[in-house]
Amino acid sequence: MERDKSLSDERKYSNDEITVYWKPVACVHASYCYRELIEVFDPSRRPWVDMKGAPTEKIIEIVNLCPTEALTWKWNDDERNRDVRSDQTNHVKFRRPELINQDLSSIQENPVSVKVMTDGPVVIKGSFTLAYSGNKKEVSDSLVSICRCGSSDHEPFCDGKHKKIGFTG
Amino acid sequence: MEEKDIKKPQALIEVIDSGPLKITGNFILKDLKRKSETTPGEIWLCRCGRSGNKPFCDESHKTR
Repeated sequence: MERDKSLSDERKYSNDEITVYWKPVACVHASYCYRELIEVFDPSRRPWVDMKGAPTEKIIEIVNLCPTEALTWKWNDDERNRDVRSDQTNHVKFRRPELINQDLSSIQENPVSVKVMTDGPVVIKGSFTLAYSGNKKEVSDSLVSICRCGSSDHEPFCDGKHKKIGFTG
Repeated sequence: MEEKDIKKPQALIEVIDSGPLKITGNFILKDLKRKSETTPGEIWLCRCGRSGNKPFCDESHKTR
């Protein structure tokens, strides 16, 4: 499978108003981005993000769906970033933990979220014990993406292969 | 003391070797494709991709 090996870096994609940041290493292939907005986020295209594909407002909406910090965004005008709301999942939020402290405390008391993605993996979020291949570990406020298509090269974790094989389910 | 630890694991996620994903405990199951949201307490999710009852395991992994 064609994969980007330079995992430590961060790419930037800008239009006149915002910059979208992409951190490959953080991606769990939840696939909200391309499923919701293929015009902008197309994994089969290089570069895979085309900021001309949709209006800024729509791009922000979809980047905010990303459950990890793989995709984040911020205003190009730094003044506007000061007004970021605490419920916004954007670049600023991930760099200002105080903005999410409130959210985190409620997550910790909440049930674990088990989300079956359309034609994709199962994304598990919260505080849970994960047991696989003889390992058992407790994690808090964590997120894992488990393969459902049976074709991942990194079982039991998703590596995005479901898209390549055309998995439905 | 343990009960007050809010970071205590709420659920147990077990990857069964060559089998399904077993999840038990305090969790919410959201299925985006079938548009359902439930709190079943215990589930077995298909990991082989061949179940006829997705997202749940129907033991299809045992048949080749």
